[in-house]
Amino acid sequence: MTQQMDRPKHIGARIQRFEDTRLLAGTARYIDDIRLPNMLHLRFVRAQMAHAKVLEIDTEALEDIGFPTQVFTGADIGDLSIKAHQDYPEMQYSEQPLLARERVRFVGEAVAAVLADDAYQAEDAAEMVFVDYEPLQVVTTMDQARDPEVPGLFDGWRTNIFVERQMKGGDIAQAKAEAAHVIKRTYTTQRQAGVPMEGRGVAAEYDPASRMLTVWSSTQIPHLVRTYIAEELGLPESRLRVVAPDVGGGFGVKGQVFPEEVLVPWLAMKTGRPVKWVEDRREHLTSSIHARDHSHTLEAYVSEDGRLLGLKADISVDVGAYSTFPFTAAGDPGMAAKVMPGPYDFQHYEATFRALATNKCPIGTYRGVGRPSAVFAQERLMDDIANELGLDPIEFRLKNVVRDFPYTNALGFTYDPGSYAETLEKMRDLLAEDRAAAEASSNDPDKRIGVGLACFVEQTAHGTPDFTRRRVPIETGYIAARVEMTPDGQALVDIGLQNHGQGHETVMAQVAADALGIDPKDVHVRHGDTLTTPYSVGTWGSRGGALGGGAVHVAAGRIADKLKAIAGHLLQSDPQKIVLQNGIAHPEGQPDRHVAVAKLARTALRNVDQLPAGMEPGLEAQYSLDGPNDGTYSNAVHAAVVEIDTKTGKMQLKRFVVVEDCGTILNPLIVDGQVRGGVVQGIGSAMLEHFIYDEDGQPLTVTFADYLMPLATEIPEIELHHIETPTPLTPLGAKGLGEGGAIGPAAAIANAVADALGIEVTKTPLNANALWHLARQAEKNRAE
Amino acid sequence: MRPSEFEYHKADSLEQALALLQEFGDEGRPIAGGQSLVPMMNLRLARPAHLVDINGLGLDTIEKKDGVIRIGALVRHERYLAEPLIIDNFPAFIDGVRAIGHPTIRRNGTIGGSLAHADPTAELPLLCMLHDGEIIAASAGGERRLPATRFFEGAYMTVLEAGEMIVAVELPVPPASSSGAFVEMAERRGDFAIAACGVTLEHARGRVTRAAVACSGAGQTAMRAPQLEEALEGLELAHPDAAAAIAAFTETLNPPDDHSASADYRRALVGQLTEQALATACSRAMEAS
Repeated sequence: MTQQMDRPKHIGARIQRFEDTRLLAGTARYIDDIRLPNMLHLRFVRAQMAHAKVLEIDTEALEDIGFPTQVFTGADIGDLSIKAHQDYPEMQYSEQPLLARERVRFVGEAVAAVLADDAYQAEDAAEMVFVDYEPLQVVTTMDQARDPEVPGLFDGWRTNIFVERQMKGGDIAQAKAEAAHVIKRTYTTQRQAGVPMEGRGVAAEYDPASRMLTVWSSTQIPHLVRTYIAEELGLPESRLRVVAPDVGGGFGVKGQVFPEEVLVPWLAMKTGRPVKWVEDRREHLTSSIHARDHSHTLEAYVSEDGRLLGLKADISVDVGAYSTFPFTAAGDPGMAAKVMPGPYDFQHYEATFRALATNKCPIGTYRGVGRPSAVFAQERLMDDIANELGLDPIEFRLKNVVRDFPYTNALGFTYDPGSYAETLEKMRDLLAEDRAAAEASSNDPDKRIGVGLACFVEQTAHGTPDFTRRRVPIETGYIAARVEMTPDGQALVDIGLQNHGQGHETVMAQVAADALGIDPKDVHVRHGDTLTTPYSVGTWGSRGGALGGGAVHVAAGRIADKLKAIAGHLLQSDPQKIVLQNGIAHPEGQPDRHVAVAKLARTALRNVDQLPAGMEPGLEAQYSLDGPNDGTYSNAVHAAVVEIDTKTGKMQLKRFVVVEDCGTILNPLIVDGQVRGGVVQGIGSAMLEHFIYDEDGQPLTVTFADYLMPLATEIPEIELHHIETPTPLTPLGAKGLGEGGAIGPAAAIANAVADALGIEVTKTPLNANALWHLARQAEKNRAE
Repeated sequence: MRPSEFEYHKADSLEQALALLQEFGDEGRPIAGGQSLVPMMNLRLARPAHLVDINGLGLDTIEKKDGVIRIGALVRHERYLAEPLIIDNFPAFIDGVRAIGHPTIRRNGTIGGSLAHADPTAELPLLCMLHDGEIIAASAGGERRLPATRFFEGAYMTVLEAGEMIVAVELPVPPASSSGAFVEMAERRGDFAIAACGVTLEHARGRVTRAAVACSGAGQTAMRAPQLEEALEGLELAHPDAAAAIAAFTETLNPPDDHSASADYRRALVGQLTEQALATACSRAMEAS
C-alpha cells in the first residue's frame, strides 16, 4: 500500500475540531435525549449476590404500586444470550443470558427487566421486586479460580479457567542456557472500570409499517451491534438500523455488544412500544465491563554484557464471570502475551497465558487492552534488570531496542519502521536535569524525587489475519468510507467509524478536502448510523485515523480522478496534469486556466450532457481498507518525574513527558489531545483507580466517592514531543494513535516511584496508602 | 439514581419549618444546599418522604456578640473566605474551609448541612470541635445547645432528634494571643480526607499556654486529644518539638483498617498531620507576636 500524499494542504494542519461547536454548545444529542411517543422506561433488577441460585422472583408488590408495570425475567427470554466463543478446543464456553436464568454470577448482573411509563416509576417498581437467592461458593481470587477443587461457574466446567494457551518463538531453553543473569519478577495491575462520561444507554422502536427495527445505542460499533441483534433475534439485517448518536466517550468500554443492547430491542418488539434504558453510574461501575486485573510473572535471560536473550512470561488475568463479545475472555491475556516482547530485540520468547473466571464483572476492552499491564510488567522489569546489573536504565534500553526495520520479532510479527532509539535519546536529553535532581534528593529523608520512563511499541490498525490468528468473533478489522459530492461541490463522507471524541468529523474532512481540492469546512462527515454508513467494524483498536483516513483518501481520490477527467475535458487539457486545489481545477502551473470544482460536480451530477462521451454520471466512491497483516507499530517513550513525601505518602507528579511517533500526523491538535487524554487515564491507572471486591464478591467502589478518577487538580502539564516516521503500510503513512497515551503512564510512574524510594515496585495503584507502605519498606530495607 | 418519591415544602419562617418538621418526624428532612442530602437521596440511602426547604429562613448571618461568633446554619462555606470575623480569629478554620470539596460545594453547602450529615472526615465537624463550638438545634419544643464534642455519635450519626434542625453554631472568640492551623491529607484535592488535624494555641511569652487538638481519620467521628493538649502546654513556640507527646497520642488510636488505607498508615498520618499543624500554628504565633 503506497500512494501517499504528495501535496497535502489540510492534512497535518492544526485545525480546531468542527464537532466541538456542537459538543460545547450543549446541542449534541445523546441516548437520554431520545424521547419517543408512548415510550416505556426500563430499569433493571440487578443481582445483589456474587454467586447464587435464583430461587424465586417475587413481583407481587407491584400489584398495589398504583401505576402500570411490566416485568420480564430469565424465564421469558428463552436462550437469548451473549455468546463470545473462541474457536479453540481448550476454550470453556460461557454464555451470558440477557437476564439471569437460574443462577447469578456477579453482583450487578441483570435479573429482571421492569418497564414503566417514566424512569422514576421504573426505578420505584424495580425496588419492589424481591429476588430470593441460595448462595453458592464464591470465586474472587485467581488462586481460587485455578483450584480444581472449587466448583465451576458453569455446568460441566473443569476448573474456572476459560482458556490457557501458549505463544512461543525461538528456543527459550537456549536463551536460559546462554544467560549470565536470570531475573524473575511478578507484577500485578489492579482491576479498573472504564468510565466514559456518558454511561451506556439503549433505546429501540419497531415500526410495523416499514417492518424496521431501529435501535439507538451508545456504542462504538453500530454495525457489529446490528449483526449481533439480527442473528440473536432472528431478524433480517436489512430491516434493522442501529444508530449511535452523539456518544459521550467510550474508551473501548462501548466496543462490546452488551446483553442490554439485545434485550431492549427484544422488549420493544415484545411490548409493541418503544423502550429506553439509560444506565446510571452505579450500574456502569458494577455491570458494564471492567479492565486490567493482570498478574505477570516474567523471567528474563540476560547476557554478561546486558543484552536481552530471551523472555519467559506467565500471564494470568481475572476476567470475571463471562466472556465478552467480540474480543472474548482471552482478549486481555492474549494481547498481553502477544505484545510482551515490546520494542526489544531478542528472538527467544515463550508465554503462557490464561483467562480466569471469577464472580466479578466481566473484563472487556478498555483503552490499551492488555498493553498497559504488559508494558507495566515489561518496563518495570527493564528497570529491575538494569538495577541488578548496575546499568543506567536508559542506556540498558538503548542497548536492546530494535534499530533495523522492518524487524520480525520472536513471535513472527513484523514491525514497520519506528523510532525506538531516537525517542529514547530525545527523552534522555529532556530528563537530564530531573535525573540530577533525583540523584541529589536520595539523601533527603522526607522528600524524594524520582524519574522513571517507559518505552513501548503499540501494534495498531491490525488487519484481518491478526484476528484470524486469535480466532475471535471480531473476525476482521477493516474500515469503509463512502465519499459523495453534491452538485454544489461540497462533499459527504459516510464512514463506518463512530466518532466519540476522536475528531473524525474534522480529520476525515481534512483528508477528503485535500483529495478533492476543497475546503474541509465543505465536507460533511457522517458516522454512527448503519442506515447511512458502509459496513465496518467501528471505532476501536487505534484504527480510525490510519484506516478510516486511508479509506477516505482512496475513495476521495477516485472521485478526484473523475473530477480531473471532467476538468481535462472542459479545459481541453490532459486529465493527468490537472491539479485540484482551493476549490478549482487547473492544469499544473496554469492556475489562471481553471474551472471551479463546484462546476465539475454540477457537470457530473446535473449537466451530464457536458460530460466526456460515455462517462457514467455521478460522483460517488466507496473503499474498504483492511489493516496491514501485522498492523503498524506506533512507538513512544513516556517519562514521569515524581516527588514523594515519605511521611504522608503524598506524591506529586512534577512532570510528565511524552515523546511519541504515530507516523504521519493528520492533525497535530487532535494528536496532542488524544495523547493527553490517554495519559490522564494512565495516571488514573497508576495512582488512583481501583475497583475492589471483598471476599464475598461484593463491590466496594460503586460511586465516585470510592472509585477515584484523576481530576484536573492532580494532572501536571503534559509535555509532548513528536517524531514522525510514516509507515509504508497505510495510504497516508499514519499509524494508530488513540490508545497509546494510556499505555505508558503506569510503568513510567512506577519506575519513578522505584527510583525515588530505592525499592522495587511490583503493583499498582500507587495511591497514598501504597506509597507510605513502600516508603516504610524502603526504610526497613536500608536499615538491614 | 433517582430519589424515591417525596413531597417538597417551602418554609417561610423558622416556626413554620419547625412545625413541619415536627409533623413529619422521621419522615421529614430540612434541605438547604443539598450537597450531602441530594446524593444520598439519589442513591436512595436517604428517602425522606418530606423535604422542608429552609433556604428562605435567613439564618445566614455571621455575628460577634458577647465573646462568641455566631454562624447561622445556612452560611455557605465560601462565605468564610471573605469574612473578617472568621479570617481574623480562626486561622485553622480558614485552612479547613479551603480544603472543603470543590467550588460548587463551597458555594452551595451550608454549615448546618455539613454538621448534620456528619461525614467522619468532613472539615466542619472537626473545626467546630477544635474551636469548642456549640451547636444550636431547634425544634417546635424549643432550643438545645449541644457542645460539638458531644454532637457526633458515629459516622453519619448525630444526637439530633426527629423534628430538630440546626439553626446556628457558636464559636467562642479566642484571645488575641492565639494561633491555629489545619492540615489534611486527601487522595485528590477536594476529596473527603484520609485524615486531618487542626491545632489551636493560646500563648504567652513564647510558650503555649493552652492548646486544642482535633483530628479525623482515626475513628468514626473527629475527636479531640485531651492528653496531647495538656502535654503541649508550656511548649516553646520556637521549638515545637512534640514528637514524643504526639506518638503517645497516636499510640492510643485505633483507626479503621480498610481498602482505602491501613490502620498503621492512618495512625502515622494523624501523627504527621498533627506535627505539621502544630508547627504551622507555632510559626504563625511567632509571626504575629
